Amino acid sequence: MLLNLKKIFKWVAVGGNRTFLLKDINLEVQEGEFISIMGPSGSGKSTLLNVIGMLDGFDEGEYHFLHESVHKLKERQRAQLYKQYIGFVFQQYHLIDELTVYENIETPLIYQDLKSSERKAMVADILDRFNIVGKKDLFPAQLSGGQQQLVGIARALIAKPKLLLADEPTGNLNSKQGEEIMNLFKELNKEGVTIIQVTHSEKNATYSSRIINLLDGRVEL
Amino acid sequence: MIKNYFKTAWRNIAKHPFYAMVNMIGLFAGIAFSFLIGAYVWGELQVNKHLKNANNQYFLKSEWKDPNMGNDITTFGPLAKTLKDDYPGIVKNYYRWDGITSVVSKGDKHLREGIQLGDSTLLSMYGFELLHGNAATALVNPFSVVITKKMAVKYFGKTDVVGETINIQSFTGASRDFAITGVLNEIVANSVTHLNASNQNVLFIPTNTYEYFGRMSFDLWSNIYTPSYIELQPGASIAGLNNAIKKIIHENAPDGFRGNIEIDAIPLSEYYLQQGGGVVKRMLYTLSFVGLFILLMAVVNFINIAISSSGHRMKEIGLRKVLGGLRSQVIFQFLAESFISVALATAMALLAYPLSAPVFSVIIGKNIPTLTSFPLYFMLIPITLVFVLGLLAGLYPAFVLSSVNTVNSLKGKLKTVKENILLRKTLVGFQFAIALLVLISATIVTKQVSYFFGKNLGYNKEYIVSSQVPRDWSPAGVRKMETIRNEFAAMPQVSSVTLSYEIPNGNNGSQPPVYKAGSDSIQAIAMQALVTDENYLNTYQIKLKHGAFFDSRKLDSGKVVLNENAVTALGYKDASAAIGQQLRIPRDPTVFVVKGVTADFNFGSMQQGIKPMIFFNVTSAVIHRYLSFKLKPGNVNESIEAIQKKWAALMPGSSFEYSFMDDTLKKLYATEMQLKKAAYAAAILSLIIVLLGILGLVSLSIHKRVKEIGIRKILGASVHNIIMLFVKDFALVVTLAAMVACPVAYWIMNKWLNNYASHITLSAAPFLLAALALGMLTLLLIGLQTVKTAIENPVKSLRTE
Repeated sequence: MLLNLKKIFKWVAVGGNRTFLLKDINLEVQEGEFISIMGPSGSGKSTLLNVIGMLDGFDEGEYHFLHESVHKLKERQRAQLYKQYIGFVFQQYHLIDELTVYENIETPLIYQDLKSSERKAMVADILDRFNIVGKKDLFPAQLSGGQQQLVGIARALIAKPKLLLADEPTGNLNSKQGEEIMNLFKELNKEGVTIIQVTHSEKNATYSSRIINLLDGRVEL
Repeated sequence: MIKNYFKTAWRNIAKHPFYAMVNMIGLFAGIAFSFLIGAYVWGELQVNKHLKNANNQYFLKSEWKDPNMGNDITTFGPLAKTLKDDYPGIVKNYYRWDGITSVVSKGDKHLREGIQLGDSTLLSMYGFELLHGNAATALVNPFSVVITKKMAVKYFGKTDVVGETINIQSFTGASRDFAITGVLNEIVANSVTHLNASNQNVLFIPTNTYEYFGRMSFDLWSNIYTPSYIELQPGASIAGLNNAIKKIIHENAPDGFRGNIEIDAIPLSEYYLQQGGGVVKRMLYTLSFVGLFILLMAVVNFINIAISSSGHRMKEIGLRKVLGGLRSQVIFQFLAESFISVALATAMALLAYPLSAPVFSVIIGKNIPTLTSFPLYFMLIPITLVFVLGLLAGLYPAFVLSSVNTVNSLKGKLKTVKENILLRKTLVGFQFAIALLVLISATIVTKQVSYFFGKNLGYNKEYIVSSQVPRDWSPAGVRKMETIRNEFAAMPQVSSVTLSYEIPNGNNGSQPPVYKAGSDSIQAIAMQALVTDENYLNTYQIKLKHGAFFDSRKLDSGKVVLNENAVTALGYKDASAAIGQQLRIPRDPTVFVVKGVTADFNFGSMQQGIKPMIFFNVTSAVIHRYLSFKLKPGNVNESIEAIQKKWAALMPGSSFEYSFMDDTLKKLYATEMQLKKAAYAAAILSLIIVLLGILGLVSLSIHKRVKEIGIRKILGASVHNIIMLFVKDFALVVTLAAMVACPVAYWIMNKWLNNYASHITLSAAPFLLAALALGMLTLLLIGLQTVKTAIENPVKSLRTE
């Protein structure tokens, strides 16, 4: 088992009343799964993804990731944990505009204190694999959306995470580019990377092995 | 149109209050400081300019071949008068004086005041205004006195005191009433009544009263102690004057002086600035430069912040152009903003002036002119300043911002202008370098000043209090004073007391030329004479190197003591070789015998270094001025009180106006203390401005990089990593600035230190310390600002899209 959410609640207090963002979420994810989270806008998809990614906290419940109890960890330890095991892909790519493709991909490794030579080898590897060696010195603004997302995924995978979290990874792409990205996900999943994606698209959901439907912060069964 | 410019400009300023504040405070501080410095400089330049016929007024300055032979502010008593008598076509008038201090009494008030024994021309030549009395006759009769308004109020509580009398002591223990014949109105700063810090004269007595005070006649050519002034005839040439002076000196000056002195007539309007080796002038230049650079630093802040904050304005600029605005109009729009900022800052600085001027006066120890004392046309200065600074600060940002591509800026594609990062970093580096330079200088000046007060004095200044005594310069007077001294010494609070003419404040009575008996008097070496009693070494804890100091057996007639420097100067092998040797002074039949040799100590300012010194015994020389008390450690205030009581009992009619050695030294190093305080003020200001600049830049940088920070955090960056991201931006600049500032500071400070015969050696410490302090402050400021963003949950910052 990779991760396990037990009775997760998350709310915001508005004038004494609690507005629930997540309500009684129970979720078990095994290694090697490919999960799609679906639901209408405001149903809590991204919030759930952020909670899983440890970027956001929750107010009640337990979260176990591998052998760690995430709800008991301090922020620094949590950061240590997700830095090591989780990669993120965003709808808006979120590349750093001031850095080149190469430097963008390299950044997570710098934060893991890897040696320069090791970093070089790993980045070269992934550039090769994603077929973007020729673009390594370009800046994000010089790339198309699909290419930027490719860089974003490469960056998410560079540290060899167990879990890839993707928030609408194809939302800003045309259908052909979207399809390429989804095929890439499928391939990565086959290689053993667990993937959880948030998506609106039924078609993208078909790539996954399990679909979780959210409505008003609850899992629809 | 223009109204519209200013309206939008104002709204833009108001919309970003934080940056507007940063800009404004920086500009305000810079401008306010410049105003103060400007006012101070102007005030100093005005000294002597308000005298009547100021352009024809001259001061006769002496240049001695050997500076130990005489004072440069005094010359031959009869010289100025002879000039007028012999060359009426060149010299229109003259004024000479002799400065003394004595106890002035009225009722129970006994206070020591500065007195000027001077020619009657004082009242006619310079346009000094008499509130009461007749200028033509006030300084004619012996034992008449003209006093300042302040003195009149101090002693009588009113100004109309002509006809009253005031009691003044002579130096022989006598005292008598003087008739007040005039009251001077407030006198502005000038070099006639206030030649230097130790000549702040407030009572004026005709020259014909010199005998009462036991002074030398103004008609003797051997009197070389007379400050002298002349007024040239309109149109007379300075060359003619110089020739006349040379001729008169050649004909009249006594042997020994004739070839050794040159007289230089210096316009009074310039004299103040160049006196004391140009101390005042140097100070003015230093302060002016500091003010200018601080102002520039504030301008740099404005430029940097204007450019970096341009992100907010892209769309506006694009729209203006689309709507038909010409580039020049956009430029004007931005200039309007800088004008408003500078104008507001200037207005604040002007409003703050009445408050800041007194503070600054205290800092530099000089009065600064009030706003109302400036001529009316000075109103143009702030106006010009607004225009110049407005252009300086606004021009570059205006050009850069107005050059953006219209379409791209409208589409929101352009987030910032293409900044010239190098230029911006250079500007920041410039600020850092200046701040560092000022900081280093302040540290070194502080070190040198504490060095003045430190262990290298050669004597122990702790617990020493000195006060002037009433003068009775006769053997009987000395005997009486010795009895009084012994009474004081017997007090339980006092460990020892000494009677002397000199205390180590740089002012000594005479510089006699001394030569070995039997050798030629031409080889005489000018020495500083110290007239003291036998307790002097003991009280000041000056080391005795060889032989013995004076003793109390009254057998010291004809005995002298030298310092080590004098031993070397006279050519003796060492201290022991000098003992028992015979010395002579030209035109003095006495053969002096060296009794002892003391270690060298700093008698005067360390600027001049230690001179050869010769001690004479007060029992034979009879002149004396001071009693110096070495107090026992303990409650100093109580000891002073006890001495005060005893003083009043032993010497009624004189006041115990004491001064601790520390305060005496502070007076001696007044310029340096002033410099130190000014350096502190400048250091604090430049720090404020540079840190304000960083505050603005970092906050803008954070604003621009919120998204990047979020991404980096998700990619695993720690708070530390994020802070370092911003620190890195400045680290290189600070390092480079330090590399520029340190050599420059070294060069400047080395030059400054070399003015002092005795000074600290420059080590790396002050440089490292200042650079480190500035670096740490910058780090702290960046850290404090970034930490909030760095801690924030990245989910929030990324959601802003």
